[in-house]
Amino acid sequence: MATPQIRISPMGEAFSKPLQDRPALRLLSAEQSDEIFPILIEELVGLGFSRALAVLVDFEAGIARPVAALNCSKSIKEHFTAPLWAAEKPLIAAMRNGQPAVIDGPRNERFFCCPIIYSNERLCWEADREHRADCLAIMNSRQARSLDLQQQVCAVCNMRAYSAAVLVAVERNKVDSRIGKAAALTLLANRYLSRLFKVEHYYNRMRDMEINIAQRDTVMMSMADPVILTDAQLRVITQNRAAERFFKLPSEQESATQGAIRAVELNNLLFSATLSSLSVAGREDNSRDITLVDVEEGREVLFEAVCAPTIDTDGLRSGLVTVMRNVTDLRRADVEVRTNLEKLRNAEEVLRQDRDRLDLVIRNVGDPIIVADHSAKMVLLDPLAQELLGKRTDENSSAALAAEPKIIKNQAKIDAYLQGFIFFSTTRNETRSITLYNPSVSAEVEYEVRSGKILDSRGQVSYCVTVLRDFSAWKKLEQLKTERHMLEIEKFSATGRLAGTIAHEVNNPMEAIKNAIHLLDRHVDSEGKPLYDILLKETQRVASIVRQMLGLYRHGENVVSFELNAVIEDTLALFNRQLSTRGVTIKRQLQNIPAVLGSADQMRQVVSNLVVNASDSMDQGGMLVIRTRYYLSSDGLHGWVRISIADTGCGINPQIETSIFDPFVTTKGEKGTGLGLWIVKGIIETHRGKIRVKSKLGRGTVFRIDLPVIR
Amino acid sequence: MIMDVEKQNRTVLVVDDEPSVLFTYKLLVEREGYKAIAVETSKKAMDVLHSAQRLDLLLCDLSLEEKHNGFEVIEFALSRFKQLPCVLLSGYATNHIVERAKGLNVPVLHKPIDIEEFLKTVTTILGADDGDKAQTKEH
Repeated sequence: MATPQIRISPMGEAFSKPLQDRPALRLLSAEQSDEIFPILIEELVGLGFSRALAVLVDFEAGIARPVAALNCSKSIKEHFTAPLWAAEKPLIAAMRNGQPAVIDGPRNERFFCCPIIYSNERLCWEADREHRADCLAIMNSRQARSLDLQQQVCAVCNMRAYSAAVLVAVERNKVDSRIGKAAALTLLANRYLSRLFKVEHYYNRMRDMEINIAQRDTVMMSMADPVILTDAQLRVITQNRAAERFFKLPSEQESATQGAIRAVELNNLLFSATLSSLSVAGREDNSRDITLVDVEEGREVLFEAVCAPTIDTDGLRSGLVTVMRNVTDLRRADVEVRTNLEKLRNAEEVLRQDRDRLDLVIRNVGDPIIVADHSAKMVLLDPLAQELLGKRTDENSSAALAAEPKIIKNQAKIDAYLQGFIFFSTTRNETRSITLYNPSVSAEVEYEVRSGKILDSRGQVSYCVTVLRDFSAWKKLEQLKTERHMLEIEKFSATGRLAGTIAHEVNNPMEAIKNAIHLLDRHVDSEGKPLYDILLKETQRVASIVRQMLGLYRHGENVVSFELNAVIEDTLALFNRQLSTRGVTIKRQLQNIPAVLGSADQMRQVVSNLVVNASDSMDQGGMLVIRTRYYLSSDGLHGWVRISIADTGCGINPQIETSIFDPFVTTKGEKGTGLGLWIVKGIIETHRGKIRVKSKLGRGTVFRIDLPVIR
Repeated sequence: MIMDVEKQNRTVLVVDDEPSVLFTYKLLVEREGYKAIAVETSKKAMDVLHSAQRLDLLLCDLSLEEKHNGFEVIEFALSRFKQLPCVLLSGYATNHIVERAKGLNVPVLHKPIDIEEFLKTVTTILGADDGDKAQTKEH
């Protein structure tokens, strides 16, 4: 609170001049501004004027009217009542230019008019404090200002000025020495009036402020949040009831518990610490969390203390206003929200990782992948699928793709397929072959389309994943393999053909030699007989080699799909008689097997060579078992046909078992050419097959042939 | 057992473009006691077939001189003597040839021929026929 101070002015001596005049002393006794005019009027009449009156401007109404009068009739008062705008009236004119004048009254009476206005030669307190020169009192004292209301409001303190005129009746055409005295007294009265007026202005302002403070107190007190006002030394100036609950012991309860005292102490301590921290902090950082103990209920309450500095009229910080918000629930909610947010983020992260992983999978599958939703609308395409179907970001942009009609056709095909599968198919998975235009190779490509439905918890289709496999590439590979295979067969045939050509060339001369030797048998004497026998035997051997080689040549090299079982049956029929004469029984176990691709003639030779070998090994009769069966390889992808030809013959000597497929290796001694199994192996290998032998001397031999089934 | 006299009446036409081979075939047939006519070309064979009054067996090689092959000779022979037994000798017995021979009901002997098999075939055919059933010209 400001304390009044006596201001000592260097101009003080102006006031130190003693006022001995009675009127002046009487005027000084006026406590309020409205007492001035009656005293002045009385003193003027006291000077000897017959009548006197004071006219005051009512700025609200814009009218000048008498406020105090002595010995004035109603008509005089009425005469000196005029609106401010009536400049033609001598009274108003005099008031406007601020100069004393003699003006006419009613009934030819004349009046000396002395206009006065709120003025002072010194700055008022407020102007002085604010270092402003435009104080209205000064302005009015230095120059005549217009009487307009706007002009007569102080720019500094916003106070409205007063304007008045003091009139005394004077005698016509007569110099009156009393006029000077009247004027001096009036000006003196104006000085008092100006000061009183200013004091009243301050009083009014004070009253307004009190109302203002009371209102603010009410607001503060009625606030549910604690509000504390502290001074620059952080001492509490005032606090509301909500704050007292924490910082003040209940006064009515004299016997405050030890706990309550402790709590209040602790709260004050915490609050002081918080304030200290806040008072040194910058403007931005103006809030702190502070946990206080509710003295009545004993529970902890978390507050957010928000601080604002109070600034005095000099713009200096005079203290702090601290408003504390109970954020206990808010913080709890906040923590909950944060936790949930964290959970959400984690979940999102997991999802994102899943998605990334899935993306990685999709990108690395290397086949076009389409994901469609329950309405068969494609929602996700991998880059390969986009190549085939165009980028489909939304419905509208598909129109932009209309440039490529083949892509549109692809879309239509896939759309139709997806709709068929999603809406009408009852199966969860489906595999289909669809031909689509592949722009990267600029050709129609056959795709193997595999689709699977992803069902939601109600068993409805939520998504459908479709993978397209470029069937053509696979087929091309298969074709390539087949072609290479055929080439190998061809190569083998060419070798055979060469052998055959040579054999054929040898054949005729050898035929003649062989026949001639036979015919010579009767002409050989006992001396030449051993030599003749050698000739006969060796010629027969050459003949059988030639026969084998020709056999290779005789077969056509047409690569076809043929029924292996039929080939076996044909071959067996050929050897049926030979076998039965040797006492060999044939047992067939021919299962249903797929067709084999290759040369049926070569395969016939394989079977016949093996059957002949078996037959040759069973001089004393026995059993020949021929089996065929189809089986899948361990990877489950490749089909094989197995032929096994087993005999109960003499078996193969283990010493040559490893080399029996080499050329010119025979178990038949002089009888064999050693070419049979070599040819068999060559044929089987050109068919990309495998041949193995198992034999036990004296027990029998099994040949096992595996041929791949080529689709 | 067929009497030699009867055998002497059996006539076999042997056709082969290789003279030495033809000669051995001729000797083999004659050694069995049959009468053999050996010719090297299809033209000569056709001449024989044309003029012969009686033939009991035709042994014909498949590959003759460029003009005709064994099948044409056999077909010509069959047009002359409907029931004439024929045997095709071939070094090139491919499936195609075997099938064609089968169609004509002509057995095939693959070169190099097994002499035992050759002789057995000849004697079986000629032995099964008696003189009365010998193929004579149909006019």
